[in-house]
Amino acid sequence: MSHQLGRLVAQILQRYCGEIVEKVGNDLFMYGSKPIAMIVKSTGLPRTQVIESLRTLMKFDLAIFEATGPHVDYKLLPDNVLLLIRYPRYLLQMKSKYGTEAELIIEELLQQATCSATLLLVTIANKYKDDKDKNLTIVTLKDTFISLATAAYIQQAPVAEMKEGSEIPNLVQVATIVPDLDTRALMQAMANPADIKDNIYWKVNYDRFHQDFRDDIMIKAMTRRIDDTAGEVMRLLLQQMYLSSAAWAEESNAIPVTDLRESSRLTDKILLHQHLEHYLKVMEENGAGFIRRADVLDHVVTERLGSKAARIFRLIRAKKYVEEEDIQKNAMLPNKECKQLTYKLLEEHFISVQPMRKSQQVSGTQKGIYLYHVKLFEALHVCREMCYSSLHNLSRARSQLVSEHGRALDKQRRVRTIVHGMRMRSETEESINDVLETLTPPEVNLLAQVEKQLKQLSTAELELDRNLFILNWYLHYP
Amino acid sequence: MAGRGRGRGTNTSLTQEQMQALGIARGDNAPQVLAPPPLFPKLETKPLPLNSDAATDYMVIVKDQFIEYLHESPAYVKANRETDGIERYSDKYKLLALDANKGRVLDCVWANFPPELRPQASRIRPSSRKRKLDDPKDIEKRLQLLEKKETQENTNEMMATAGDDNKKQDDIDEDLEDEEEQEDEIDDGTDYANNYFDNGEDYEDEDDNLDDDPVY
Repeated sequence: MSHQLGRLVAQILQRYCGEIVEKVGNDLFMYGSKPIAMIVKSTGLPRTQVIESLRTLMKFDLAIFEATGPHVDYKLLPDNVLLLIRYPRYLLQMKSKYGTEAELIIEELLQQATCSATLLLVTIANKYKDDKDKNLTIVTLKDTFISLATAAYIQQAPVAEMKEGSEIPNLVQVATIVPDLDTRALMQAMANPADIKDNIYWKVNYDRFHQDFRDDIMIKAMTRRIDDTAGEVMRLLLQQMYLSSAAWAEESNAIPVTDLRESSRLTDKILLHQHLEHYLKVMEENGAGFIRRADVLDHVVTERLGSKAARIFRLIRAKKYVEEEDIQKNAMLPNKECKQLTYKLLEEHFISVQPMRKSQQVSGTQKGIYLYHVKLFEALHVCREMCYSSLHNLSRARSQLVSEHGRALDKQRRVRTIVHGMRMRSETEESINDVLETLTPPEVNLLAQVEKQLKQLSTAELELDRNLFILNWYLHYP
Repeated sequence: MAGRGRGRGTNTSLTQEQMQALGIARGDNAPQVLAPPPLFPKLETKPLPLNSDAATDYMVIVKDQFIEYLHESPAYVKANRETDGIERYSDKYKLLALDANKGRVLDCVWANFPPELRPQASRIRPSSRKRKLDDPKDIEKRLQLLEKKETQENTNEMMATAGDDNKKQDDIDEDLEDEEEQEDEIDDGTDYANNYFDNGEDYEDEDDNLDDDPVY
């Protein structure tokens, strides 16, 4: 709950849902939880608009309400706001792993936030009915939906439970039951979507996706450190782990080698089967925990302050508590430069200092000893704050860019829609070109440039989100 | 004598030796910087290149699509824009876009929402207190009153009086005076009107007394 996070959350809300939602969201972020009347008072917005914004926030799981007696307080969930940036990654994961149908289902579900299975499938089927290349049928959609539910990528939304005498619902989590959808009923619903009476609602299970990302990262790390086969072993290990222990546990239960051997026999990799024991041994020696937190920090330091600073950072980390002179001796750097870099690291809060005074010496030269050390978690937090602030900056830069060239972008959009319409009516190429020429060459150049910049900013945002994911994950496992 | 009175010795917080330990030698002081730091400081290290491949492109496109979807859905709350009374050519398009979105309510699972957020539960807001003069009748009455006062002043000058008229005018006068009094009371609420003027006569008096025993 830091200042940077608040700025970022406000910026994201502004970009996704508009200024009014941003105002309400920011108000909630600053004060924790609040009832409607208070929000109306502190934001100065009309009540209807506050209600509308709260609906938006609640719908997309960005806020929750807490009821105490007849009062309802609303509370923002900043972490879920940050997830908005991660949506494309979920879709990519789906597309690459389960294909287009799964992607479409997840996309629609993310857009609807919560939706009943029948309605969801029917909307998708109707939307792409005329699309020949996708070649969707309601049956394949249904099958994909069921397999997604089985794999827990989607789960049932909490169900409202009414208490007696009060109007305020109490949301209760329910266990997901894989639905049994009737194809014929779905076909009927497709014909007239108005009378769908399915009241089991579904939503996306973010945690399951995160679990996938984590596994990917682990396997990739193993592959990079040792080789492909080690990655394969890692995958098998993870598979076995899911069978025996909770997904987000710190350590898995012990996995017998024989089980591993069994499963490796299934995969037809002879090499793997033969050298399984060796690989396990190497991993054991090399591993010491797959989570090598400090590596990321090392990278951050290198990128920001150069490799020499990273050397000092590593040195301090390896020795735990170091005196300044020792740093100078061991870092193999010129004295002055070393000092400068050390102080720079201190200034950026990557390392901290622990003063120790000698108490025996009463007077005279009171020489304190300053021990430098790395507080890993603090450094991580610093990193996270940096991510937040740069994400915010990116988003700001983007909106600035868009507003600066708003006129040109508008014109481009209008020309595009007109041309699209003309193409649909299959008008002559000449007249289409006439319309296209309303954009002058300098404008075209400018637009291309702006588009390139926007894309770069977007990519950077996604990349930063990836970093944030890793950092958060480190904080998750202390 | 500056710097005395708060501790002894140097006016810096560190001793020379401590300074030296920190790597600051005599005469090594950096010149004072008086300008504010630049708004966009120069990057000391170059950022890593962004990798761009098909997957990233896909994600960028998907992201834009999602944002566009949100902007067109009722989830994007728009302010009720007040027109400034000038008709513009572009209004036609803007209004069309607004109308398309107007009246659409976000479709949520209303059972999961607290009642105050549900659409049918729009609470009747307490009507704001009417201003006294908003009623046209009131305005008319007041204007008549003022008019009568004016005519009365004229008549006073002309010294033309009639018994019946006098009675009526007295009534009117009372009415007006009542209102004026009310206004006066409101004005008195602050103490701006109070007179704090000091003519300075007391100025010398005090000094005379103090001459005898000075205060240390």
